[in-house]
Amino acid sequence: MVERIEDLNLPNAVISRLLKEALPDGANVSKEARAAIARAASVFVIFLTSTSTSLARKQNHKTITASNILDALKQLEFESFVDPLTKDLDAYRKVVKDKKDKAKKDSAVAENGDKDAA
Amino acid sequence: METELPHTRIRTIMKSSLDTGQINNEVLFLMTKSTEMFIKYFAKESYANAKKPSSLAYNHLADLVQSNDNLEFLLQIIPQKIKVKKFKTLLEQGEESSDSSSESD
Repeated sequence: MVERIEDLNLPNAVISRLLKEALPDGANVSKEARAAIARAASVFVIFLTSTSTSLARKQNHKTITASNILDALKQLEFESFVDPLTKDLDAYRKVVKDKKDKAKKDSAVAENGDKDAA
Repeated sequence: METELPHTRIRTIMKSSLDTGQINNEVLFLMTKSTEMFIKYFAKESYANAKKPSSLAYNHLADLVQSNDNLEFLLQIIPQKIKVKKFKTLLEQGEESSDSSSESD
């Protein structure tokens, strides 16, 4: 699979927004620095992905799990990321579960509605 | 739960790495969030390490990469720059030491 190099880039607008959130008001970032941060982020994805894949393989899994990623972050000395990411993951799982439960409930109501009509 | 970086792009980058197998939604979410966290971390740490400059420059990033173990993977991506003059001096010094060793033969 061949990717164009642009496909591996992350959008500048989003990078700028994240930098604005991270740094104090009034702090500027040079264009060159922003481009370097964007490159570093793309490389980080590849690095974290391959480390996570190795951990998955050690467990004889073909598919990466969220747990592999969190363990990989610890291994790569980004422990400070683990707690906040775990919270984000829990919140995400809750949203997904709530959606599923709602969908089940809605389809059950629809069935009952049909029964009454018959 | 919102993410800011586009998850389709993150997926493309992940797939350009080894044979990752399937990438489920949860994994994609977590990878996207991790990357956002990394971007902020890299910027914040560089800024603090450079003692809060008015403008964050490339050199500040390169300096942090040199000093932090967990950023070693970026050594070739964000190398420190040296001035052409210094590079030429280094080249000359290299030539001088090889000249003197051939004289001693």
